[in-house]
Amino acid sequence: MRSNRRDFLKTTLGTSAVVSLGATVPGFLRHAAAASTNEKETVLVVVQMSGGNDGLNTVIPYSDPAYRSSRPKLAIPESDVLKIDDALGFHPAARGLADLLEDDRLAIVQGVGYENPNRSHFESMDIWHTCQRKTDTRTTGWLGRYLDLSQAENSGASSAFHLGHEKQPFALTAEDVRVPSIDSLDGFRLNDGGDENVRSTISKLAATTAKESDSILGFLQSTTTVALSASKRVEEASRDYKTPVNYPESDLATKLKTVAQLIDAGLGTRVYYVTLDGFDTHSQQPAAHAVLLGQLGDAVSSFLNDVKHHGHDDRVTVLAFSEFGRRVKENASDGTDHGAAAPAFLAGSKVRAGLIGDHPSLTDLEDGDLKFHTDFRQVYATVLESWLGWSSKSVLGGIHKPVDALEA
Amino acid sequence: MTTAAIDPSWAWKPFRPSKQQPWNRARAAHLLRRAGFGATSQELDAAVEQDPDEIVGALVSPNLDAKFEQESEAFAATILASGNPKQLSAWWSYVMLRTPHPLLEKTTLFWHGHFATSAAKVEDSTTMYNQNRLFRQFALGDFGKLTHAISRDPAMLIYLDSVTNRKAHPNENFAREVMELFCLGEGNYSEKDIQELARCFTGWEIRRGKFRFNRFQHDTETKSILGRSGEMPEGESIDIVLDQPAAPQFIVRKLLRYFMFDEPFASDELVEPLANELREHQWDISHVVGRILTSQLFYSEHVIGRKVRSPVDLVIGMLRTLEGSTNSYQLGDDLNQLGQGLFYPPNVKGWDGGRAWINSSTLLGRANVIGRIVRDEKTRFGGGKLDEYFTRLDAESASAIVDKLVELILAVEPAQAVKGQLVEVINAEGDRSDRIAAAIHALSTIPEFQIM
Repeated sequence: MRSNRRDFLKTTLGTSAVVSLGATVPGFLRHAAAASTNEKETVLVVVQMSGGNDGLNTVIPYSDPAYRSSRPKLAIPESDVLKIDDALGFHPAARGLADLLEDDRLAIVQGVGYENPNRSHFESMDIWHTCQRKTDTRTTGWLGRYLDLSQAENSGASSAFHLGHEKQPFALTAEDVRVPSIDSLDGFRLNDGGDENVRSTISKLAATTAKESDSILGFLQSTTTVALSASKRVEEASRDYKTPVNYPESDLATKLKTVAQLIDAGLGTRVYYVTLDGFDTHSQQPAAHAVLLGQLGDAVSSFLNDVKHHGHDDRVTVLAFSEFGRRVKENASDGTDHGAAAPAFLAGSKVRAGLIGDHPSLTDLEDGDLKFHTDFRQVYATVLESWLGWSSKSVLGGIHKPVDALEA
Repeated sequence: MTTAAIDPSWAWKPFRPSKQQPWNRARAAHLLRRAGFGATSQELDAAVEQDPDEIVGALVSPNLDAKFEQESEAFAATILASGNPKQLSAWWSYVMLRTPHPLLEKTTLFWHGHFATSAAKVEDSTTMYNQNRLFRQFALGDFGKLTHAISRDPAMLIYLDSVTNRKAHPNENFAREVMELFCLGEGNYSEKDIQELARCFTGWEIRRGKFRFNRFQHDTETKSILGRSGEMPEGESIDIVLDQPAAPQFIVRKLLRYFMFDEPFASDELVEPLANELREHQWDISHVVGRILTSQLFYSEHVIGRKVRSPVDLVIGMLRTLEGSTNSYQLGDDLNQLGQGLFYPPNVKGWDGGRAWINSSTLLGRANVIGRIVRDEKTRFGGGKLDEYFTRLDAESASAIVDKLVELILAVEPAQAVKGQLVEVINAEGDRSDRIAAAIHALSTIPEFQIM
C-alpha cells in the first residue's frame, strides 16, 4: 500500500481526533486537518473509452504477418508505427501515449477481458461497471461499492465526481453515496434568477421534504441535497485556477482540465470519472480512430503534466479502458466489428511503466477475436489495493490477483 | 426485484371507476400526463365528464387535424431550409407543446428512443426529419411494418454504418442492433445469428440519400438464423426475427416501462398476456397502448408517481399544463442541456430513462431551466402573464394558486410544509406575476416535481 494514509494520520492531527472532539475544535483547525489530509490522498481518474476501442490498432503487433493479412486495408504500415519494441508499437496518432511511455509514466496491460465475452456494448459495459453478469442482480457499480465501503475513511466532502454530459456511469452507482455529475463548472450552479428569496426557499425545501430512503423519492431527495451542497463547494473551489499547460481543444481535454482544477482545490475527492465516446468504428475507421487516439493521448498527457506542475503527480493515476476490443479481421466498410480482449492503460508517475503481459495471439482466436489472459477485475484490484488502499475482495466480490502495474 | 407481487389477471382487467376509485381530476390528470404531456385545468374539467375508456379510445386513434398538420409542416419547412439539424429540436418541441394528439407524439418519441438515431452522425436535417415522419406514421400502428421500414431508412442505415454493405465482409452493426435493441433483447440470440443476419443485409445500400438494393453485393447463399434456414430475400429475415416469442415480450416490456413505471423490472408473467395480445393483433401498437392505459394496474399505486419525468415530460409538461408558450429554439436547447437532445439520442440504445435522468447536474439544470422559462419575457401563460392566468382559473389567493399548481403538475401530493413555503414565496413583496414565477421555480426543485 503506497498511499500510506493511515501512517500520515498517525503523525498529524488525525481525522478521528477531529471527529471525537467535534464542535470543540476550532473551525480553522478542523479545516486545516481536512485540507492536509486531502493533499495526501491518492486520486484515481478513470477514462472510459466508449464504443469498443480497436486495441489491435492501438498497440500494434506490427511485425506479426497475421496482423497484415487480417487487416489488408486497416493495418498501419510498419514505418508509421511508434515503436515500443521490435514487435509492438503505437498507432501514429497516439503520440501522447508514446510520450508518456517514454517518460516512464504509462503501463500497458495487454490482453484484458473476461470469460465468455459479451459483444453487446451495453451488456459488456455493464459487466465492466458492475463486475457482474446479467443473471446477477446488479444494483451497484464497482466504484460505487468502494465509495459505500470507504465512506467513513474518506474525509472529502464528495468522494467521487463524474464529469460529462452523458448519463452517470453505472460504475459509480452506490447504495448510499450519491456521486455528483458535473457537465461544466459554469453550468454546475443554481441560478436563482436574481431572487435571494428563491434561493433560501430552495434550501429550506431541500431540508423539509425528507422521505423514506429506498424509493425513487428518497433517491431524488438525497441527490438534490448532494447537488446543492456540491455545487456550492465546487463554485468556491474552482476560482482562480491557472496552468501553464496548453491543453488540446477537445471535450476530453476540457474535462480533464476541470479534474486537475478540482484536484488542486483540495476537495478530498478520490475518484474522477470521464468518458471519451466514439470508438465504435464499424465503418471508415482510419480517420475516426486516429482522431480518438490523438485526443486520448494528448488529453491524458496534458492532464498529467498539469497535475505535475501543481505538485500532485505523486498522487494521481489514470486508468483508461474500453468495454471490448474489436474483431481481428476487418469488415467491408473499412471498419471493424465488436471483439473481445484489448489493452487497458494505467498512467501517472507511480506506474510501473512498460508492457505488462503478452500481446494476445492473432492466430489462436476465439470466434475471430483475441483471447484475454488478464481479467479486467485484476486491473481493478490493482488500483483498489495498490492505489486507493482498499481490499479489493469486498468491492469485487472475489479474489483477483493484482497486476504488477503500480509501484509498491 | 420484479413485479412478481402483481397478479397479472388483476392487472390487465379494465379499470372501472368505483366509490373507492372514482373518476376524478387526479386520475384524469394521471392519464393525461402519461398518455401525453399533462392537462390544463380546462382539459381536466372536460375529462371528468367523459368516460376514461372513451378518452383513451380517442387518444389511440387520432383523427389528424389538418390545420395543425399544415402549421407543423410550415414550421418544419423553415427549419429544413436552415440546413441545421440542431434546429429540428425546436420544431419537435413546438409540435409536442401544441399538438392536438399528445399520445401520438409521445409514442413517436418512444420510437425515436427505441430506434435511436442521432443527427450527430447522420448530419442531415431532411434525412432525420423523414425518419421522424416514419415514426409518427407507424407510432400507433404495425410494429412489424415499422421494423421493415426502418431497415431501409436512410437515417438508420447511415447511423449504423450500413450505407455500404458488401457480401465479402458483411458489417454486423445493424444486424446486431436488430436483435439486441430493436426486436429481441440481449440473450435471445447467438453471435452466429448476428453474423448470419448481417449476410441478409448485404447489398442494402444508401445512394444519394435513398435506399437501394445492390444485387451484385447481396449474399444469395443459404443463411441460418434462429433455427430457420433459407436464402431469405427481401427482409424475410426480419420476419423470422419478429416471429420469435421474445419479440412481443421485448416490445411490451419496453412499453410498460415507458407508460407505466421505471422500476421494478416487469416480470414475465405480467408481460405475457399483453405480449400474446400484441401477436394476436398483428403487432398493432395502439391495441397494447390502449390496454395499458385502461388497465386496473395503470391506476394503482404501482404506477402513479412511479416514473421519473424525462426532460420532455418536465419542461413540455409544465408549459402545457399552464397553457404556456415560449421560444421553441430555446426549448430545444434546454431539453438537450437536461440530457434529452431531440434528434440527438446519446447512443443506439436511446435514453435509459428512470433514475438515469437524474444526477446533480441535471437536477440543478432542471431548476435552472424551469426558472429561466417562467421568467422569460417571451413566455406567456394562456396568452398573458402568470397572475392574469391564475385569476382566470379562479385561483386568487396564494394558497389557491399553490393548490392549482399541485393539482395540475404534481402526481404526488407534497408535504404540507412545502406548500406553506410556496405560499410564503407568493406572498412576499414584489410583482405578483414574478412571485408566482418564483414559486414555480422553487417547486421545480422538490423531489415530487421530478416524478409523475
